[in-house]
Amino acid sequence: MAFLAALEQTALSVWIRETPSVFAFPFILFLHTLGLGFVVGVSVAVNVWVLGFANRYPIAPLKQLLPVMWIGFAINAVSGVLLLVAYPAKALTNPIFYIKLGLIAVAVVALTWLGRQIFAGADPGRVFEPGFRVKGVAATTLALWAGTIATGRFLAYTHSILMAGDVVN
Amino acid sequence: MQAGTLMQALMSWIVSTPPSQFVTTWQWAWPISETLHFIGLTLMAGSVGVFDLRLLGLAKGIRPGAMHGLLRLGFAGFGISVLTGLLFISGAPDQYFYNSAFHVKAVCLALMGINVVLFYRLQFSAVAAMGPHDDAPLPARIMGAVSLVLLIAVMCAGRLITFYRPPAIIY
Repeated sequence: MAFLAALEQTALSVWIRETPSVFAFPFILFLHTLGLGFVVGVSVAVNVWVLGFANRYPIAPLKQLLPVMWIGFAINAVSGVLLLVAYPAKALTNPIFYIKLGLIAVAVVALTWLGRQIFAGADPGRVFEPGFRVKGVAATTLALWAGTIATGRFLAYTHSILMAGDVVN
Repeated sequence: MQAGTLMQALMSWIVSTPPSQFVTTWQWAWPISETLHFIGLTLMAGSVGVFDLRLLGLAKGIRPGAMHGLLRLGFAGFGISVLTGLLFISGAPDQYFYNSAFHVKAVCLALMGINVVLFYRLQFSAVAAMGPHDDAPLPARIMGAVSLVLLIAVMCAGRLITFYRPPAIIY
């Protein structure tokens, strides 16, 4: 907690939290939402394609969307760390934050596995009926993203500590 | 009746309705609605946004006509986001009606609607006839780009609403 209190007093943390500039906290929140749109947007398209389109239309071309997803992931890793730096105790003392990180980790593993299953075929025009396991992982990943969004939103309403300094001093 | 008084009357009526009572009294109504609002956003990004990217030349190998099937999700996502959005407005109408970020968001949504209507009236038949590897006609590409920019602008303005809240009138 002393570490978090010190982190709160770093110039970066204070700036993100306290500057009236709209380019600090509000803009970082927007970037976090934009990254969400990129990551989960592409994932929705790919996973829904697996669930309902891959048996009629090729899926391989969707591979070109993956850079968009990874750009979104990078945006959210950076913006997420900045939001954490602004209010470290707020998230790190909330169990929901760790559930959110866990959901993201499982979703990334699931998507990586799914990518190997569906983009492996050499023929870019390949149309196939995904198996039960592939469809199950595709559906589960969508549920994991819904859980990530829910836990993310609830972080704003369930924190017990806002600033570590309030507890330490 | 003055415009200000009319607005007051309208807002007083809105906050007396059951949805407003629900969202302001049940503790978890707001975060649950926000979760749904964001899920709606991702459904739109994953359908409208991905369709726009195909118009711009990404994911060639899939006919835009086939990809258009994803749009059903987009309409579902739009419905979810509109319903939850109306719920937020019903909870604190003054915080939206006098909020410049919300005004920008509303204008962007209206422009998006116009773009969608123009696309279906002027370009959809040509786009639906495209083969898997064809380039979209220029007007369709422009509409796809406009759609993407507006989608991002709506997210940006929406996320900034909290930071442009006017002094409370109702509560």
